[in-house]
Amino acid sequence: MQPSARTSTFPRLAFRPGRSRERSSRPFLRFVLRRFGALILLALGITVVAFVLTSVVPGDPAAANLGQQAINDPAAVAAFNHHYGLDKPLPEQYGIYLWHLLHGDLGQSEQNHDAVTHDLSQAIPATAELALFSIFVAVIVGMSLGVLAAVRRNKATDHVLRVVSLGGVSMPTFWIALVALYVFFFRLNWLPGTGRLDAVVLPPPHHTGLYTLDALLSGQWGTFTNAFRHLVLPGCVLAAYNIGLLTRYTRSAVLEVISNDYVRAARAKGLPARIVVPRHVLRAALPGIVTVIGLAFANVMTGSVLVEYVFSWPGIGQYAFHSATTLDLPAIMGVSLFVAVVYVVVNFLVDVLYGVLDARLRVQ
Amino acid sequence: MHQRLRAALRRPSLAFALVALVVLAAAAAATAAQRGHAASSTLVVDKSFDLKTADPQRQFEPTGGIVDKALYDTLLQFKGADVAHPLPDVATSFKASKDARTYTFTLRKNIKFTDGTPLTSADVVFSFNRLVNLKGNPSFLLAGITTTAKGPYTVVLHSSTPNPAIPAIVANTSLGIVNSKLVKAHGGSDAKNADKVDKAESFLNSTSAGSGPYTLKSYNVTSQVVLQANPSYWGPKPKFQTVIIRNVTAPAQLLDVQRGTNEIALDLSPAQAGGLKNVNVEKTPSANVFFLFANQNPKVSTVSSNPHIVNAIRYALDYSGAVKLAGAGAIHATGVIPSMFLGALKSSPVKQDIAKAKAEVKASGISNPTLDIEYPSDITSNGLSFGVLAQKVQADLQKVGITVNLKGSPVATSLNTYRAGTEQLGLWYWGPDYPDPNDYLVFTPGATVGLRAGWAAGQLPSLEALAKKAAVATDPAQRTSLYRSIGTQIDTKGPFFPLIQPGQVVATSKNLTNAPFNVLYWLNVAAVGSH
Repeated sequence: MQPSARTSTFPRLAFRPGRSRERSSRPFLRFVLRRFGALILLALGITVVAFVLTSVVPGDPAAANLGQQAINDPAAVAAFNHHYGLDKPLPEQYGIYLWHLLHGDLGQSEQNHDAVTHDLSQAIPATAELALFSIFVAVIVGMSLGVLAAVRRNKATDHVLRVVSLGGVSMPTFWIALVALYVFFFRLNWLPGTGRLDAVVLPPPHHTGLYTLDALLSGQWGTFTNAFRHLVLPGCVLAAYNIGLLTRYTRSAVLEVISNDYVRAARAKGLPARIVVPRHVLRAALPGIVTVIGLAFANVMTGSVLVEYVFSWPGIGQYAFHSATTLDLPAIMGVSLFVAVVYVVVNFLVDVLYGVLDARLRVQ
Repeated sequence: MHQRLRAALRRPSLAFALVALVVLAAAAAATAAQRGHAASSTLVVDKSFDLKTADPQRQFEPTGGIVDKALYDTLLQFKGADVAHPLPDVATSFKASKDARTYTFTLRKNIKFTDGTPLTSADVVFSFNRLVNLKGNPSFLLAGITTTAKGPYTVVLHSSTPNPAIPAIVANTSLGIVNSKLVKAHGGSDAKNADKVDKAESFLNSTSAGSGPYTLKSYNVTSQVVLQANPSYWGPKPKFQTVIIRNVTAPAQLLDVQRGTNEIALDLSPAQAGGLKNVNVEKTPSANVFFLFANQNPKVSTVSSNPHIVNAIRYALDYSGAVKLAGAGAIHATGVIPSMFLGALKSSPVKQDIAKAKAEVKASGISNPTLDIEYPSDITSNGLSFGVLAQKVQADLQKVGITVNLKGSPVATSLNTYRAGTEQLGLWYWGPDYPDPNDYLVFTPGATVGLRAGWAAGQLPSLEALAKKAAVATDPAQRTSLYRSIGTQIDTKGPFFPLIQPGQVVATSKNLTNAPFNVLYWLNVAAVGSH
């Protein structure tokens, strides 16, 4: 999955600004409505694709979920198929699914017999906590390193950073994950190993499902520290690819701007570099960088499958993996829908941010 | 300009430095605090989850079995690693009729469920009927068996055919006895249509309704299950007040068990366990038998169904090489019945004999015999992947002139061709459903697994006659000899080639005692001790 996300990066970058300018010439509300309409169409499309793909796979959910003995018992197979509606014709199954979906019911998971909405409500906050932390780390570190590389172009720092960022984008996530676990947990014991909390620490009372936030809200400082420490390793591993990506992109975006006349003019009128770089250079380079941050979310979504697996993180990635291996159709559909919604929302936010960051777009 | 710009770097690099500092500080500060925090009364069990449910009558997976063994009592039970001698649990004794159709169990009178309700025969009848009528994974265990109460403390199991395996079957965690009043109050049903009307699963996934040594404190199918000692348990009190069963992958288990105290790792491969220091490591043969089969249906393949080719495969396979591949603790499977069960063969009647295998290939008259081998490519059992074993088979058969194409596919797909009986060569394993050789009659002609290998009824009448006799025999000595004869016939004349029983590793922290691997329960958490 990851390679395709990468290859789509650069052509899209080139088109972005133009497209947004055209859109933002229409009223904002209309823009939001259009996006919402697109989301519904996309969601419909996703359900069709997921549904068709899962039924085309030469596998049998009953065989994947029943035991070796039960599968020979026609009564057990019939009971299974009836329970999950698999005994109905495909179009009817799909119709029923859509009808339930309209009522907010995503069906029942075949692998663990839970409501898919319940499973998602548990898994989404776990992944969200990891993803937000990881994006935060990636943005701060990636952009800082990128600016550093740009202003020290062709110096030793730049060369070192190039190797580092290349490492970030080219090392397989699961490998970094295992190495990180070995070094920081097993060898140095600086950070805890797997899971969201130590086994003996109870989860904080449920407010948002993000353990760090929930612990703070309920004033459990010990639980917060524990949850945060558990977040550090998987979060940084997940950020590695995006740090590399952001470093490289920020470097080239800053270099493009830094040699402009207005930067030279700002310097000539005596403004110190500490003002010129953030206010003049970075500000102008930011719209492009924001696009990359949007794409970084896509990388986090794909990367989370491996990272969550290695770190036993009970999030969307693990859930998707288990659903796929047991041909758990309701769960596969639930995950696909969720991922589609995230993509659309992130793209939407990126487009809105353009308006905020680039005054020219707002004027139009 | 660049030189002056450097000054500006202070800001972004400052931000970076700050983040790094905060992360490291938080990490370092809390490390000390967390050490030794693992309360001494908490046991942590690392298991790669295959959890579907905690409802005993729906559960039939290892993780669910570990949980339900702790939450529910069964009529009989096995202790330690033994699976040959069922011992009293809820039933203080049982009597079998001479024809092995009727078993009468006498129940203990002082057992109470956690809500104070006494456990009576009505609860046993409800639980067993519910098991049958839910028509789920474990329902086959009581196929053809009816359960009736004879007074409040006597239960009678009657089987339509002689069934000497009943004492072994009632020790299964799927036959855990639930509080019928409580389960009924939460939508439970034991009626004929229980598969449609029973709604008690979600209740049983949040609260336990048993009389076992533990109660269910929290349950999450993807992260962890927490058990709390049952203060009113009638039997010996368990050592640990809290047991946490966590979903952890094998590589991480390896690190956890070396770092922690009161930790048990259940999924390490023999190779992973090899380098462990300061940890108790127990390696025993697993009851999973990995076997190869050659399809006997000529419509599937005229090559694999040729008796000479079947013999050629039998003598071409390098059995000791396969054992080495599987690592420490693994043994050569002497037959389809695993070594620890009644009726298992002491040694295999088949040895590798390349010359004989080559002669058989020649005698078959088939030039350049070629076969496809199918196997689940995404499954690793006891650290052994089917793909690696399939390559070994390929190399072995190549030596005698049989070409093998590897056709592995994900288990959800390959299970279909396996069940349909369309695989030319198949590489699979069979894990015991209950610890009795009866469970292995499926490997005879016309039976479940026999048919998957295209071995139809009537293809080996002498074996089929033995199987019929064994199914109803009740005398242990007679059963042993019958199952040994069956094993020898399958090994020497059948299309099944039992390869290995891989090594099963249980790694525990140095301070823990009494955590043996049991092929039925995996681990009895209530029995684990510490010093």
